[in-house]
Amino acid sequence: MGALQYFIYLSVAVLLLGLLFKAMKIARMPIHLRWDLYPIPHEKGKGHYGGSYFEELDWWTKPLKVSLVSEVKEMSKEILLIQSLFHHNRFLWFSSFPFHFGLYLLVGYLFFLLLGAILNLSGIVIGATSESAIGVTTHYLTVITGAGGAILGAIGAVGLILSRIFKGELRRFSVKADFFNLALLLALFVALLISLVTVDKDGALHRSLAGNLITFKPMGEMPSPIPLELFLAGFFFLYLPFTHMTHFVGKYFTYHKVRWEDHPNLRGSKIEKAVTEYLGYKLSWSAAHIKPGSTWAEAATDTSPVTGEEKKK
Amino acid sequence: MSSKKVKVTDMSNNQGQLTELNQADFLPLPPPYDKLELEPKMKPLTPDQRQRYECDLDGIAAVMIPRPKTEEEKKVLVDKFLSGLTKLFNKEDNWTFIQALLLTMEYCAKCQTCSTACPIFEESGGKEIYRPSYRADVMRRLYKKYIKPGGKFFTKLTGDDIEVNWEMIARLAELTYRCTLCRRCAQTCPIGADNGLVTHELRKIFSQEMGISVKQLHEVGSVQHIQKGSSTGMTPLAFKDNVEFMEDEVKERTGMEFKWPIDKAGADVLLLHNAGEFLAWPENPEAFAIILEAAGISYTLSSDLLGYDGVNYGLWYDDVQLARVALKHIETAKKLGVKKIVLGECGHSHKALTVIADRILTGDYNIPRESSLTLLADIVKSGRLKLDKSRNEDIYVTLHDPCNVVRLMGIVEPQREILRAISPKFREMTPHGVENYCCGGGSGFAIMPNTNFPDWRHSVAGRKKLRQVLDVFQDVIGPEHKKYVCAPCSNCKGQIRELFSAYGVFERCNILYGGLVELIVNAMTDIEKPFLEWDWH
Repeated sequence: MGALQYFIYLSVAVLLLGLLFKAMKIARMPIHLRWDLYPIPHEKGKGHYGGSYFEELDWWTKPLKVSLVSEVKEMSKEILLIQSLFHHNRFLWFSSFPFHFGLYLLVGYLFFLLLGAILNLSGIVIGATSESAIGVTTHYLTVITGAGGAILGAIGAVGLILSRIFKGELRRFSVKADFFNLALLLALFVALLISLVTVDKDGALHRSLAGNLITFKPMGEMPSPIPLELFLAGFFFLYLPFTHMTHFVGKYFTYHKVRWEDHPNLRGSKIEKAVTEYLGYKLSWSAAHIKPGSTWAEAATDTSPVTGEEKKK
Repeated sequence: MSSKKVKVTDMSNNQGQLTELNQADFLPLPPPYDKLELEPKMKPLTPDQRQRYECDLDGIAAVMIPRPKTEEEKKVLVDKFLSGLTKLFNKEDNWTFIQALLLTMEYCAKCQTCSTACPIFEESGGKEIYRPSYRADVMRRLYKKYIKPGGKFFTKLTGDDIEVNWEMIARLAELTYRCTLCRRCAQTCPIGADNGLVTHELRKIFSQEMGISVKQLHEVGSVQHIQKGSSTGMTPLAFKDNVEFMEDEVKERTGMEFKWPIDKAGADVLLLHNAGEFLAWPENPEAFAIILEAAGISYTLSSDLLGYDGVNYGLWYDDVQLARVALKHIETAKKLGVKKIVLGECGHSHKALTVIADRILTGDYNIPRESSLTLLADIVKSGRLKLDKSRNEDIYVTLHDPCNVVRLMGIVEPQREILRAISPKFREMTPHGVENYCCGGGSGFAIMPNTNFPDWRHSVAGRKKLRQVLDVFQDVIGPEHKKYVCAPCSNCKGQIRELFSAYGVFERCNILYGGLVELIVNAMTDIEKPFLEWDWH
């Protein structure tokens, strides 16, 4: 196996571990105080206008009505169509939507490459003329997601770069890293597109490389555009966990664990148990009205240093 | 310096005031305020004030931070700020919000979508420093530089570096009081980042670490609340006197004579008003008393320390003060043995005690809390009151949605159900409900009278609400039509009172403001005279 192949393995490992580490780090943080933001789509019968269970008299005596269907519907619109940007920042949506949808298609492309490689190993031929229906389907989906993803992604990346250059409000807030990230992805999209157009029109070569990667066989010689494309892909995987581009991980938490997190703290609940532990955490804030070294429970119940006079003495 | 071109890194410059405010830049208002000369003039700070207080952000001194006299003083303050920043990202010191804050620090894409939602940025004519993302980007750069491993090196590499000096921190302190925490920005964020939370957390550094806060929020706010029983300074004895006065006034205005329940152990409900109502708008607690008496609700008021003042200013700037006040409210309810606490028409007390404090109340401190709007809607729908909506027929009514009750709690319909039942000429502002705009007095602004801050509040923070009110009544804007802005929130009423007064809205347009319960009582057939006193506003 060559250096490039080892680099790919390393980058995929860093990507997966990095994403896992990020998600675990956030998930293991203390449950914060409630910071709901309405509308919350899972509020059954109320989500569409922004209502909540607080509208019910004696709400704590009634079962909480949750609509997972509404929540999934809202999530789908946000993830697939980026509806918040469509409604509130249409200009940017015209670049951001193809960019993100292109990325989704490329995730699909990777999936179909791997699926095709596994099917190949099982003896199923992938191609337009394959006798197997799944072979034909996989072939077309591979071609569509690969070419479609690269084209849409490139269009979006160009649009986003130009927006950041020419739109003052974006330019003033953009830093070198923002341009680098977009340029890296644009390079990746273009490299893939060149490979697909010049040496791998039906994706068979990429599929074969994917097969070699998952079976740990040497990738062997590759026509010239491919190594550059693989290097860019590997570098992107390696780099991604260290950037804010992992916002697809963060977005799960910002929506489900902050904005839409409306679980009440009921007696005997897990939340109550956790909060009881947090109330024992010690404070080190220095302002005069907070006694140093006290726990949250002590600070909240002992109001004697409230003016800070005691501390000043 | 042209304010439109201010960059985030300019926060650290030592070239004096960062942004000039010129009223001609603000968005024009609808008639009858469509000429600049009809607007109240914003006063500049006096030379003495400029010399004494930090005001190099925009020429406003809301926090009134004394200017340090020496470089050593500045250094101490900078070090304290950085120490507070570190504590904000320490789970023991800030378990309350660290998860939500970290997400906002890590994942903003700087797309500026939030700016389109911010009424302060929009109405100011697009002043760069008022973008929700501007303040947040300063904070984000600080986080990247001082909290993330290798930050000082990597921020130089990525371009996220920012120079930290007292000039920047002093401007930042003021900038945290140019956001009302309405969280409209967060509502539009495609990633779910929350720049309103950034304001909240920055205020905490200043208060919890540096001891810098607005006097009216801390010293004569939450501290006075805990010591004397009310942020108004009202003692339990004074509260009881006030209740007696209001009992007499109810008798005089309605002919109804009854004692208000105070400290009635075993009542179903502890009604917790914002004490500002007793002093500024006694007709509001009076209307509550009339409705609950007529509906036969078992309730009580409390004369305990804090038991008669539901405000909780800690919500806006200090988690420790928030917890202290919330616990005192709960202790009052425990002592009386009530089944639930019902919050009067005060938005931030709704949010503080029902939602935010929910996760500090364990065991028998977890007494149910409920909005009065929910209870009132139930009373109105149940038919327990004799109501005739035609008694409100000559009044055009619109509803202001308090952010804390609506966008931040999801209580949208009960108040509308009531208005549809009692007000034939009810009409909605655009937008409304969870997409409403803040009154401009949120997060403590309404009680902050320092230097020229009220001028800014009227001309910038409250401008969108004034626009909405003028727009919704534009077809009947003349003084011959009676109009009413129903604002079921004490804080919002305080802001609207000042806003209307500054622009002469009552005199010019005959628009009154008030709560919801006053309109309900105005529709009660048991009461002969109209409860709303139009001439006494």
